[in-house]
Amino acid sequence: MKLELGNFYVKDIVFGDETSFNNGILTINKEEALSVVKEDEHITEADLVIVNPGDKVRLVPVKEAIEPRCRVSGGAVFPGVTGKLIQAGNGRTHALKDCSVLVVGKHWGGFQDGLIDMSGEGAKYTYFSQLKNIVLVADTDEDFEKREQQKKNHALRWAGMRLSEYIGNCVKDLEPEEVETYELEPVIKRSEEVAKLPSVVLVMQPQSQMEESGYNDLAYGWDCNHMVPTFMHPNEVLDGAMISGSFMPCSSKWSTYDFQNFPTIKRLFKEHGKTLNFLGVIMSNLNVALEQKERSAQFVAQIAKSLGADGAIVAEEGYGNPDADFIACIVALEDAGVKTVGLTNECTGRDGASQPLVTLDEKANAIVSCGNVSELIKLPPMETVIGELQSLARDGLSGGWEDDEILGPSVKEDGTIIMENNAMFCGDQVVGWSTKTMKEF
Amino acid sequence: MKKAILYLNQFFGQIGGEDKADFAPVIEEGLIGPAAELNKKLENAEVTHTIICGDNFMGSKQDEAVETILNFLEDKEFDIFFAGPAFQAGRYGNACGVICKAVKEKFGVPVVSSMHIENPGVEMFRKDVYIFQGGHSAAKMRKDVKTMATFGDKILSGEKLLPAEEEGYFPRGIRHQVWLESKKPASDRVVEMLVKKLNGEEFETELPIPKADRVPIASPVKDLSKATIAIVNTGGIVPVDNPDRIQSASATRWGKYDVSNMERLKGGEFKTIHAGFDPAAADANPNVIVPLDALRAYEKEGKIGKVHEYFYTTVGTGTTQAEAARMGKEIVEHLKEANVDGVIMVST
Repeated sequence: MKLELGNFYVKDIVFGDETSFNNGILTINKEEALSVVKEDEHITEADLVIVNPGDKVRLVPVKEAIEPRCRVSGGAVFPGVTGKLIQAGNGRTHALKDCSVLVVGKHWGGFQDGLIDMSGEGAKYTYFSQLKNIVLVADTDEDFEKREQQKKNHALRWAGMRLSEYIGNCVKDLEPEEVETYELEPVIKRSEEVAKLPSVVLVMQPQSQMEESGYNDLAYGWDCNHMVPTFMHPNEVLDGAMISGSFMPCSSKWSTYDFQNFPTIKRLFKEHGKTLNFLGVIMSNLNVALEQKERSAQFVAQIAKSLGADGAIVAEEGYGNPDADFIACIVALEDAGVKTVGLTNECTGRDGASQPLVTLDEKANAIVSCGNVSELIKLPPMETVIGELQSLARDGLSGGWEDDEILGPSVKEDGTIIMENNAMFCGDQVVGWSTKTMKEF
Repeated sequence: MKKAILYLNQFFGQIGGEDKADFAPVIEEGLIGPAAELNKKLENAEVTHTIICGDNFMGSKQDEAVETILNFLEDKEFDIFFAGPAFQAGRYGNACGVICKAVKEKFGVPVVSSMHIENPGVEMFRKDVYIFQGGHSAAKMRKDVKTMATFGDKILSGEKLLPAEEEGYFPRGIRHQVWLESKKPASDRVVEMLVKKLNGEEFETELPIPKADRVPIASPVKDLSKATIAIVNTGGIVPVDNPDRIQSASATRWGKYDVSNMERLKGGEFKTIHAGFDPAAADANPNVIVPLDALRAYEKEGKIGKVHEYFYTTVGTGTTQAEAARMGKEIVEHLKEANVDGVIMVST
């Protein structure tokens, strides 16, 4: 499987007559773009705003981030989700770099939604403050979940994917500035030089805790709750086979943009043939029932062992209940003789004194940690808010609250906010961006 | 100028040696012993008082010592409290820990001490007190005092405090997120750690897992029909007036309550003081946590020999493992003395 990712670096985004890319300038025909958004009649109101790093802008409730792309070799960017089911990870895909499509609710937020500050103290808490963003601010008629804390955000998330593909299509016929090539020989047909290196798998645990459909991450459109771990080519992940869900407290969430750019996968590719032999990805999940957790851990260990893996990285999209899957998987791999490193965040409480993961095991002796979900963050008012600031307090965002005996409400009258890291949009960057770690005080 | 107060034992407080270890606490205006050195090194505060207490007095009459000292401090203005350095002196280390913890809880000021790594006070109080890693003996007095003063100055000036490892105090079990100066992303860290692990090289986990302290499973009771069975619980079931003043969270106390004349625990006579769950069900029927009613039934049926005269209670929520282990060991002594054969341990 050979994937060519053709990159177009975006220096500026403007609105104009024709959606096009020229010399680093991405021009978007707003009207046409909005008509793509409104193809779904459930979208009742929609607008597009361009925000850049350094802008005095606060975005909340942010629901999704997607990199604008097109599949040059034909077919939907997200097979099985936005179009017909085809194999991802093979052929040519073009991507607009340094930018993302952000989907923001015009009013209503939920447990899984987050906040982004494009400048000031708050900017460091999310990856997306350093990107040029095309922000879709919209509302829907999905009244059944308007006041639900858990929202599927279906219309908005799918609108975001359509929009990103519409924008991405403007570079379909252009020659990219650079082409990244990702290719792995079949596992048992690798050169002796590569085969003699320690063999490594990446075990991904995407979010799948909800029993009802519509909330979990999808693999080729299939609910990750309804699968047992399976072997995937890393190219598939980088090329739209995985999309983000709408469930997890936001700082722990992996957005679709995160899947498309998964830094740990790219890092393993870089190391492939040098210090290790990258076998591929074992796609697992994070189901709630104990038996499901044990079943997944058993499948992962068996696949890793059957593939001949010497080492594994296990990355978890979540905290709390999923920590049980994370630790169980590491233990199962270690027991099978696969040397394993974990990649996660922690929940040590506002005072930092709580046990970092729900379960611990001495076999998990190598963990990279990307932050504390419950770290308390206070930020001054921001000149412009896109979306609705009150959603942070009112709608049960995982890091916000309506009132607190000591701290008062999350949103103050002057626009100051106090919140937990939990509600920072994909803030802990467990996919590998994170420059945060945890230290003992 | 901000103000600091220093705690010393009888020896460093210039009262005398071991023969004066029963010395009752006093507070002196001004600088005694190491207080002068501390005052010299502190830039953001002056040391206004020195408190001196004998190590044995603190050891054997802790409640009285703490109460006396807290009373001394009641009308004093101070912004930070120091104790020691205690070097490797075990009783002194304990005294510094006890008083620092009490002062922090009562007055909410930062508390700073210094001890040698092998001083038992380190393990006992590292979670409550900034304890700096100090020397073995008084030969390191100047250095250790300087370390305490430097950190004190840092706190008082509001400067950002670095992780324990970088500041030099024993980690307090508190974990917070920090941004790496190297800006090295997690993707690099995780792959590098894996390569090291695969190659058998040294690596440093970012989340050290504490060693599990496993208790082996007891051998089964041979003949239940002749056995004395006791109930112990961490669900906070106590007589309604909570006579032992067991705390509702982070408990350090436990109690034993006579049930030899009771068929069951009655709501209104017993209740839960546990702060970690909705108490409604347990208050209405305390037997849901202390199943005396069920055990009495077994007793009548002859399934068990008898129910032990007392049940034992503490509260589990927020209680440290060290305190829980200590209380457990104390309770076990009572159970052994009463020849209890088996225990039902109810957690909540």
